[in-house]
Amino acid sequence: MTTTSNVSAATGSAPTTTAEVREAVLDASARATPVRILARGTWLDAGRPVHAAHRLSVSALDGITEYNPGDLTLTARAGTSLAEIARVTGAERQWLALDPHGAPSGSLGATIACAAAGPLAHAFGTPRDNVLGLEAVTGTGAIVRAGGRVVKNVAGFDLTRLFTGSWGTLGVITEVTVRLRALPEVDESYAMPVADDGTSLGALAARLRTALIAPLALELVNGALAGRLGLSRRAHLLVRLGGNEDDVRAQRTVLSELGELTTVPADAWRALRTAEPPSAAVVRFSMLPSRFAECWSFAHGATASVDDVLIHASLGRGVVRCIIPYESAADLDIFLGVARSFEGTRIFERLPAVGWTDDVSPSRVADRLSRDIKHRFDPMNVLNPGILGDRT
Amino acid sequence: MSASPRTTTDPLVATLTAIVGPRGVLSRPSELMVYAADGLPTYRKRPALAVFPSTRDELIAVVRALAKAKRPFLPRGAGTGLSGGALADGDTVIVGLNRLSRVLSVDPENRLAVVEPGAVNVTLTRAASAYGLHYAPDPSSQSACTIGGNIAENSGGPHCLKYGVTLNHVVALTVILPDGELVTLGNAHGEDDGYDLLGAFIGSEGCFGVAVDVTVRLTRDPEAVRTMLADFTSIEAGARATSAIIAAGIVPAALEMMDGPTIRAVEASIYAAGYPADADAVLLIELDGLAAGIDADVRRVEQLCYEAGARSVRTARDESERARLWQGRKKAFGAMGRIAPDLVVQDAVIPRTRLPDVLATIRAIADRWNIQVCNVFHAGDGNLHPNIGFDSRDPDVTDRVHHAMREIMRACIDAGGSVTGEHGVGLDKLEYMPLSFTEDSLAAMCQLRDVFDPERRANPGKVVPLHSCREWTLAPATRRALTSTESSLDTAES
Repeated sequence: MTTTSNVSAATGSAPTTTAEVREAVLDASARATPVRILARGTWLDAGRPVHAAHRLSVSALDGITEYNPGDLTLTARAGTSLAEIARVTGAERQWLALDPHGAPSGSLGATIACAAAGPLAHAFGTPRDNVLGLEAVTGTGAIVRAGGRVVKNVAGFDLTRLFTGSWGTLGVITEVTVRLRALPEVDESYAMPVADDGTSLGALAARLRTALIAPLALELVNGALAGRLGLSRRAHLLVRLGGNEDDVRAQRTVLSELGELTTVPADAWRALRTAEPPSAAVVRFSMLPSRFAECWSFAHGATASVDDVLIHASLGRGVVRCIIPYESAADLDIFLGVARSFEGTRIFERLPAVGWTDDVSPSRVADRLSRDIKHRFDPMNVLNPGILGDRT
Repeated sequence: MSASPRTTTDPLVATLTAIVGPRGVLSRPSELMVYAADGLPTYRKRPALAVFPSTRDELIAVVRALAKAKRPFLPRGAGTGLSGGALADGDTVIVGLNRLSRVLSVDPENRLAVVEPGAVNVTLTRAASAYGLHYAPDPSSQSACTIGGNIAENSGGPHCLKYGVTLNHVVALTVILPDGELVTLGNAHGEDDGYDLLGAFIGSEGCFGVAVDVTVRLTRDPEAVRTMLADFTSIEAGARATSAIIAAGIVPAALEMMDGPTIRAVEASIYAAGYPADADAVLLIELDGLAAGIDADVRRVEQLCYEAGARSVRTARDESERARLWQGRKKAFGAMGRIAPDLVVQDAVIPRTRLPDVLATIRAIADRWNIQVCNVFHAGDGNLHPNIGFDSRDPDVTDRVHHAMREIMRACIDAGGSVTGEHGVGLDKLEYMPLSFTEDSLAAMCQLRDVFDPERRANPGKVVPLHSCREWTLAPATRRALTSTESSLDTAES
């Protein structure tokens, strides 16, 4: 077996049908040759290094296979880009309310496989809340069709949730059915400068929790990130409001009582999603929402030794995300040392290969149930081995 | 059913009695009759024993004793399920969770609550109401059904159109696996990561283990609520209104339809809600959210209903009128029970745009088999509940009901639907699973079950037909390669 980083592999294939994906997986299993599964390759350095000699790309599994606007459901092959889905559904004034970090050229399959979510998760949840069904090829070559194309479904054990967020380690997702929503009549975004100390933020978070607002997204950004979004270089609260004219106006009034509001263009959200530089560590810290200020302060303290750190947070969900540029892995030593001491949940998205150590980023699939699932769905351990910290 | 000598001498009685006391174990056939049925009248099965732990420690000890004795068991809440899922026979022991019914904590700041599995759905909302919060999933049986049962079935309810089903509201579970191991699924204190074991467990119909405690997300009470009733002279017009409302970007909290036979059954009962008795369909539409803007949505919904052909649209003026409109819907099953001794409540989901033609097909099937079907259902998400009232003492009628039900389920599958939206597969839907899923998909489900319960002792024989639970067929080359490396793989099966 050739050991490579998760970014490059010596050879690759790009099947155009589910049957071809199955052939490729069976071949890999028969030869006990691991494959790195990818789609459009926009987020390849996420997750732990995969030791694989071959790439298996679903990028040629492209295109929307079924879209019934009246049902607000859409089925697309895994390599279909989020941008294409936005284009087609937008023409019907609908959308897939998932905005994972990264370029819109990223694929639906990768979004679901990595359970990747962005600011809209505040109102619409994460991929697990938006996926209705999917097709995947397991490591044994079984073509599994999980869930369905209807918005409510409890038939059978929930394989849809199992594959969602499994990072390609249990099967190659080939097709996905998602729930869509109607675009709001009014969709406006605002920024409000806020004091960046723990006490003020704690008070603000508490007021926002009880305020009579129902934002689509509620994201706090630090000064450096605000600067990237065209705002002044101080911490800001970004709020996205959607609804009819009356309720958006009322919510804006409630918010304006908490601080000074300025309108920001809708593409600020895209700028936020694509803010991370090519060479950066990305980590999410989360705690109960009531401990939000503590979580935010920890993230600032832990990254104090690094320049140009971008930090943003979903206030309602209690998740703080840090983007830490580095030139050499050693630049991260102090940060990783401090991150280890975080009391809440820490989830690393991107790290240099040497950073993925058990004490910094313990595997989340080391428990008996997870190991057994992996063994049953991929007995030859050929699908993205090691990407979740599973032993290879 | 005759008394079996086995039940009186079952060695497990002494073991379980030592854990829960003599009042916590039922073994006499006469006592067990209560547990021979659930909410679906067509199946009866008598379990070997029933045991009722009162504390978390007792529950854990009971499951471990069952593991040691290698006895099949099934967890049971209130027994209000509608798929025969909470039934057992042979050696199987029912683990009744009704005594584990406490709301353990409510955390209004984080909008979380921790409950025991036997807590009744509505008691959770009552415990949260002082903080202006509620638990969103609201099955029609919410005054009786338990949170543990809701997790087993991934229950919905009228308000899941806007707020989502049980899956979307449970953040963590402590589970005792059938082998007696205690595990935590999900993360109550932050983001979850790794495989979605919590998602896999929810809706597993008691086949994956028993929830010991449940952490749920609470939802803020809406600032304003508007409940509307629109009446139509045809089901098709009601279905058109449904599609138009959703397409307009309005997400009602609930969007329920009742057909003519249902309306008349309700209006003839003590639950009379003031529905127009000559209508062929009514839509019960509830909008909720911020006060600002809600009346604009009410006007828009009114307009869309009239455009679809509504005769009248009215909005409840006060809480008592609202409660009355809802009572008719929530008690519709009870009202239908009044006109026939037995009632089969079916459950299937179809794409919303197929409502008019599938409902027409259902009517044709009912006519052909000469039975009366009442439709009361969650129109907003295409979740049908065709109900058939009948007398099970009449074998001819019973036979016709079964034939009609099968044809109705087939029609829903053919329309691209699912055989169950919220009631679960249980026993009743087993036969339809191969129509909805490929052998590979069913086998994958069995693999998942075997991870949680390799001995297949938890609620045996439910959800996936036994013949699907074969070993996975590997391509020959893979099988050879696997055999040669099996010993080096890190497996946890031993």
